[in-house]
Amino acid sequence: MLFKLAWRNIWRNKRRSLIVLISVMVGLIAIVFEDGLSNGMMRQMLFNQISLDISHVQIHKAGFNNNKIVKNYIPDYKHVESILNSTPDVEAYSKRVFAAGILSSASNSSGVILYGIIPAEEARVSVIKSSIVEGNYLGSDKRGIIIGKKLAEKLGVGVGDKIVAMANTLKGDIGSDAFRIVGIFQTSSSEFDKMAVYVNAGTEQEMLGIGDNYHEFAIITKDYNNITSIKKNLEAKLGSKYEVFTYRDMLPMLIYQMDLYKESMMILNIIIGLALIFGIVNTMLMSVFERLREFGVLMAIGMKNSRLYLMILFEAFILGVIGTIAGLICGLLLDIPLAHSGINLSIFSASLESFGVGAVIYPVLSLGNIFNAVLLIPFVAVIGALYPAYKAIKLEPVYAINYV
Amino acid sequence: MEILKAENLVKVYQDNGVPVNALRGINLSVSKGEYIVIAGPSGSGKTTLLNLLGALDKPTEGKIYFEGEDITLKEKKELSKMRLHKLGFIFQAYNLIPVLTAIENIEFSMMLLGIPDNVRKEKALALMDELGIKELADKRPNEMSGGQQQRVAVARAIVNNPTLVLADEPTANLDSVTAGHLLDLMEQMNTEKNITFIFSSHDKNVIDRAKRLIILKDGTIEKK
Ligand SMILES: Nc1ncnc2c1ncn2[C@@H]1O[C@H](COP(=O)(O)OP(=O)(O)OP(=O)(O)O)[C@@H](O)[C@H]1O
Ligand SMILES: [Mg+2]
Repeated sequence: MLFKLAWRNIWRNKRRSLIVLISVMVGLIAIVFEDGLSNGMMRQMLFNQISLDISHVQIHKAGFNNNKIVKNYIPDYKHVESILNSTPDVEAYSKRVFAAGILSSASNSSGVILYGIIPAEEARVSVIKSSIVEGNYLGSDKRGIIIGKKLAEKLGVGVGDKIVAMANTLKGDIGSDAFRIVGIFQTSSSEFDKMAVYVNAGTEQEMLGIGDNYHEFAIITKDYNNITSIKKNLEAKLGSKYEVFTYRDMLPMLIYQMDLYKESMMILNIIIGLALIFGIVNTMLMSVFERLREFGVLMAIGMKNSRLYLMILFEAFILGVIGTIAGLICGLLLDIPLAHSGINLSIFSASLESFGVGAVIYPVLSLGNIFNAVLLIPFVAVIGALYPAYKAIKLEPVYAINYV
Repeated sequence: MEILKAENLVKVYQDNGVPVNALRGINLSVSKGEYIVIAGPSGSGKTTLLNLLGALDKPTEGKIYFEGEDITLKEKKELSKMRLHKLGFIFQAYNLIPVLTAIENIEFSMMLLGIPDNVRKEKALALMDELGIKELADKRPNEMSGGQQQRVAVARAIVNNPTLVLADEPTANLDSVTAGHLLDLMEQMNTEKNITFIFSSHDKNVIDRAKRLIILKDGTIEKK
């Protein structure tokens, strides 16, 4: 009966209740939406990094990561390869020669990371092949090179132009080689596009004088959620001569940034929650003051204050529950199509690209966060009703009855 | 048997800092089964007195004993319990909970007592039948006339078998015929169920039917 009473009281002033409902709904939609967007953005940031050069797992000679010099090449890459081939978790891998160097055109020069790759292998672990916007992906041409669009602009070169790459050789002198640009790529990260250039592994090995050796294995696993156990497994098989890094190890800043982002989203949610609370405080106060007389009658016929208090909280709770359900439905209806089509944020894309996100965000809903919001909002509504309900029961029944 | 006793009741309101002596020393004894009308000009203190007797407000001075217990010393919680179990109220207007139907309004006080759903439905219907308002059961207050609402209010006031029913000008908003019906009803409940009634009125018709008349003037009881 108390439920019945609360329920009918809610619909008594339909407009006011609708306003509360809508604000709860909008709050929830905002939370669902913003959660989806931020999740999508963070995932994209991470996936983009992974698909550029990081991959899921990298293997080097122990110490390489701290000191990326030419002589720190992998001691026995065939051994590593045979281990990877017999590890079922491994989906694909790419062997890379790595050298920090300088790329010069006739007009300009720029510091770069010179990757020596086997084009077919690299195509399976990174996004470079599909990021070619001009010319072609790296083929068997020994003098071919592909560079990022930003770098090409900086050097003032285009497809077919010649450039010279320089890097320290194993012996310690400077090796250099002339290349012809066969393709230009553009990825989600303009920073990356300024830095990374790709040539055939054989050519770079020759230039550096490291025989047929490589510096890096970039590995894509079948399930990146299992990354820690895969890492342990590989470490055990490879022994201490090698170092195994996961993307989490290699992207500490990004992981940190993502955590930070999550926290800032939480703060945003708290702000939305607070706004909701104030909205509800306001509406419930109005509704309480409108009904003081009635509360007086209820008190007179023997309704205990605590019960009256509960009834008012109950009204807010019901409003919260209805608003949550409606908001959740609307939020999902809005978000699910967007999760497929993506949200085009190209207006902001310059900044997003330097973030490594890309212009189109695909919202990703995290069930956990939505679940939390759904559980919390009815209680937020109750919190908003605490004060109005308190005001209602503070009154002596006689004043309430005489209140007009 | 004495059920209610007021001793030297004084009520002073503060009206913007100006003290208003609404009651100046009321002494009153009420026995079970009495049917009392409090009359007096506007501002004489009728509402104030009824509110004090019903424990809706506290006196500035004086004592009120209900069934031998001093209710001026009781806490809010005990008072609402007492009102629920022992008292019934009828107000001049806006008595009923607007979102509940007539029968739900009557059931409400039984619900507060924790009487189970089916029992209270049955009891409410039986009472409405007795009061001749059965056909109002599913109407909301705004679908009823003032007289009908007051009769439902009487039903609500007596459904928990109270010792005492207090009514502040219950007929004030009714025409004389309707008021007459309401008085019939209350008189019937008084004689049949031995429920004590105290109510206030301006109305000569009502005053004429009083079994005991108390006349208030300037916050004191006028000697006859
Ligand atoms: N809350 C209050 N604050 C200040 N003064 C009050 C208050 N309530 C009543 N009074 C004053 O106390 C006196 C008695 O009022 P009360 O309402 O008891 O009279 P009444 O006999 O019921 O009058 P009426 O017939 O008009 O209903 C009046 O002078 C009134 O102005
Ligand atoms: Mg009065």
